[in-house]
Amino acid sequence: MSNVKIGESLRRVEDLRFLTGHGRYIDDINLDGQARAVVVRSPYAHATINSIDTSSVADMDGVLLVVTRDDWQREGFKPMPTKSGVKNNKDGTPLSQPDRHALAIDRVRYVGEPVALVVAETLQQAQDAAEALDVDYDELDAVTDPVKALAPGAPQLWDDIPNNLCLDFELGDKDGTEKAFAEADHVVSLDVLNNRVTAVPIEPRGCIASYDASEDKYTLYNASQNVHANRDTFAEVLNIDPAKLDHIAPDVGGGFGAKNSGYPEPPLCLYAAKRLGRPVKWINSRSESFLSDTHGRGQSSRVELALKADGTFMGLRTTTIGGIGAYAWTVGPFTPTGGSARTQGGPYNFPAMYYSGKAVLTNTAPMDPYRGAGRPEATFQTERIVEYAARKLGFDPIELRRKNLMPKEMLPHKTPMGLDVDSGDFPKLFEMTMDMVAKADQAALKAKAEAAGKKYGFAIAPYLECTGGGPKEHAGVTFNKDGSVELAVGTSSTGMGHETSLAQILAAALGIEMGRVKFQQSDTTATPLGGGHGGSRGMEVGGNAVKQAADEIIELAKPIAARLLQSETEEVDFEDGTFKAGASSVSMNDVIEASQDADKLPEGMEPGCLNHSSVFERGIISIPNGVHAAAVAVDTDTGTVEFLGYWVMDDFGTIINPMLADGQVMGGVAQGIGQAFLEDIVYDPDTGQLVTGSLMDYGLPHADEIPNMEIGYYEGEPTKKNPLGVKGAGEAGCVGACPAVVNAVLDALKDDGVTHIDMPLTPQKVWKAIRDKGAHDPKALLGDAA
Amino acid sequence: MGFEGAMPEISLSINGAPVTGTVEGRTLLVEFIRETMKLTGTHTGCDTSQCGACTVHLDGKAVKSCTMLAVQADGAEVTTIEGLAPEGEMNPMQQAFNDHHGLQCGFCTPGMVMRAMALVADNPDPTEAEVRHGLEGNICRCTGYQNIVAAVLDGAKALRG
Repeated sequence: MSNVKIGESLRRVEDLRFLTGHGRYIDDINLDGQARAVVVRSPYAHATINSIDTSSVADMDGVLLVVTRDDWQREGFKPMPTKSGVKNNKDGTPLSQPDRHALAIDRVRYVGEPVALVVAETLQQAQDAAEALDVDYDELDAVTDPVKALAPGAPQLWDDIPNNLCLDFELGDKDGTEKAFAEADHVVSLDVLNNRVTAVPIEPRGCIASYDASEDKYTLYNASQNVHANRDTFAEVLNIDPAKLDHIAPDVGGGFGAKNSGYPEPPLCLYAAKRLGRPVKWINSRSESFLSDTHGRGQSSRVELALKADGTFMGLRTTTIGGIGAYAWTVGPFTPTGGSARTQGGPYNFPAMYYSGKAVLTNTAPMDPYRGAGRPEATFQTERIVEYAARKLGFDPIELRRKNLMPKEMLPHKTPMGLDVDSGDFPKLFEMTMDMVAKADQAALKAKAEAAGKKYGFAIAPYLECTGGGPKEHAGVTFNKDGSVELAVGTSSTGMGHETSLAQILAAALGIEMGRVKFQQSDTTATPLGGGHGGSRGMEVGGNAVKQAADEIIELAKPIAARLLQSETEEVDFEDGTFKAGASSVSMNDVIEASQDADKLPEGMEPGCLNHSSVFERGIISIPNGVHAAAVAVDTDTGTVEFLGYWVMDDFGTIINPMLADGQVMGGVAQGIGQAFLEDIVYDPDTGQLVTGSLMDYGLPHADEIPNMEIGYYEGEPTKKNPLGVKGAGEAGCVGACPAVVNAVLDALKDDGVTHIDMPLTPQKVWKAIRDKGAHDPKALLGDAA
Repeated sequence: MGFEGAMPEISLSINGAPVTGTVEGRTLLVEFIRETMKLTGTHTGCDTSQCGACTVHLDGKAVKSCTMLAVQADGAEVTTIEGLAPEGEMNPMQQAFNDHHGLQCGFCTPGMVMRAMALVADNPDPTEAEVRHGLEGNICRCTGYQNIVAAVLDGAKALRG
């Protein structure tokens, strides 16, 4: 019998290879005869390509092939499709989707856009040739700020897309919200920036493509978090049958959304591999990653809150302009529109809400999901206006929140944004968080800050988010004669520990030893379908696929158990790894063993009859929710911020492995704190050059910049939307973190007249805000554009 | 354009075994470790010496192997993540990382462990603040550091015996 249970903090089984240097990441793979590829990237933000002279490098040492737009057009390769969840403008017309080819065809539209692929015998030879390739450009005016890109007279990226407007979206009751604002006692408005950042998984992207002419078949090893969807995209681009492309992700060194997209480099390498008849390997450098990985956030919003005199919320209205880069990337148009609309208003009771969002094309790198994709933005917008309103109108920020949380009796509730909030207890989590904070003794923390000559600040940030990503997942279970049990799932762990948590679900459900489970993921030959990684779907969709497969296996096993127990199938019950009929019992282990032996099987059943695959499909997305709180000390002489405490209480429904859930929360909070204080993608507004193009310029948080967090879980309200009752844990950390820490800093500075600082709250910006007391313009970002 | 003619031979020890190899003048130590010696546990995560994924020990000191040339390691004793424990086993620091969930994707982990080992060699009983400061040259994007710090403190304790 297995001791493994759901809810147990099992140590990770994948750790041994990672800790001893035996992980197998993309750059650790080398195929016989491989050539090396380097991408020639645009040095301009916007330019016409006059000519590409491949003869300039053809005779260089080791050069094998230069792939250009001429090849792409001659071959008739297709553009990469956007798969945005919102496809239509608010007037019903389709979004404007410019052709996104793997190589720029007529013009380049962002610094770093692929212009050619150079393939050579060695990496150094390919780098030398890529540097020497003669490309003649005529530079054009560029625009990098989405608000400016919408304005009259702005440079136009696409001749057929007026005002650079890709998608014009709205959600909610516009008239009802206007009425609520008209009837309100107070209306408060603030422009809020959600700064542009990028995921920076520590492993850069990379791939190795090969082609087998005898079978007309491609194999692609790729640092992808979404092999099935990417395979379909690459096959579509290259006009090949997806069945002719095996797509495999080895160990992947972090993703956070940045390895989700259909990128240009893999189809370029697949094409080059076929042309050369040799494997082609490409690994991005870190500097190139800043230019060419997808970026996230990057929204300028006007947030307006309507309140009654007693502080009761009446309405919320948000107007967002979001840059999406030069193309409508894989799901890029969705984030500033539908993705940011859904969870507006958080866990508060809003009778009326209205959201309008514009996805705008700019001469910048592509935007696609980054951990949370819209939910961190929505939460930040909501929590900033609530805090701002409390300060402006003289309410206690804690009491104002407490007063407006949806009471438990209100659930299930469909919000004015159409979100199905089925379960939770928001007031309870709020008080549980305040209890955690109370134990830390705020008076003592404040005294500590003041003794050091600093100002103390505290904020609490309730959040409500939702899952996403592919709704279907496959789990296949194969029982081997050597006793091992193969579990193949179409999810994609890029660090979340699915090799442990999904095996834990299987072992717990079947009552078998964890050590028997061999886990396989991210391989299109191993699972017919899979949704990869995204939207906190690993346990919610993947976990439920495993649970469903296990439950079906138990039913398949009952006739075998009945025969072993000399009973009838209907009389057999299963619990804790044991089949029982009356007083007799037999273990799942014995039944599995019998399933391999024809002599022990009932008539009509064959050895291997327990091998089983199942596809789970999520009906309605789940609603993770919780509360973050932060205490800080601000040095008003230097603008630096020190953490005195950080608390999190989460409702993720059922927790599969608390240790792994903690890891997700801690990592998410760290990314939120990084965005709030350090991280910022900055383009030069005149030239469109990326200013923050390396880890010397883009600040990632280090060990001494992230506080210890006290984390708790409330499991009293599991969702009924899926059998395991899980709500998703992967992104919540960075949904709650930004508002908690930014509002804490602003609380510390409330007596200095500081009402708002846009992220990142660098020491210089904090210091300047203190010196500029009261000078902030609440319409600073959108002006009259809203 | 290579550096024709300049192909020095170097001799060093890696994980206790003597090694001799011919390198280009421009070959980085991390390239020699990964590509010539096929020890792929040492990773490259950036090109500006910030991330620390390539950290190894050179004569007992933690160094970023992307920041020195292979020829500079001539005559040195190099230890990589593969050399910390016998095949299939973990030393007390590696075990502490497993116990405390001090890793997620695993890509920064070898560098983080090598840095942690050097840190506790210099300071066998560090405070939490000293650990956080000592890890400044290594970036982890997954864990938020809390569990890494807990692992290093616990690993230090185990190594003190």
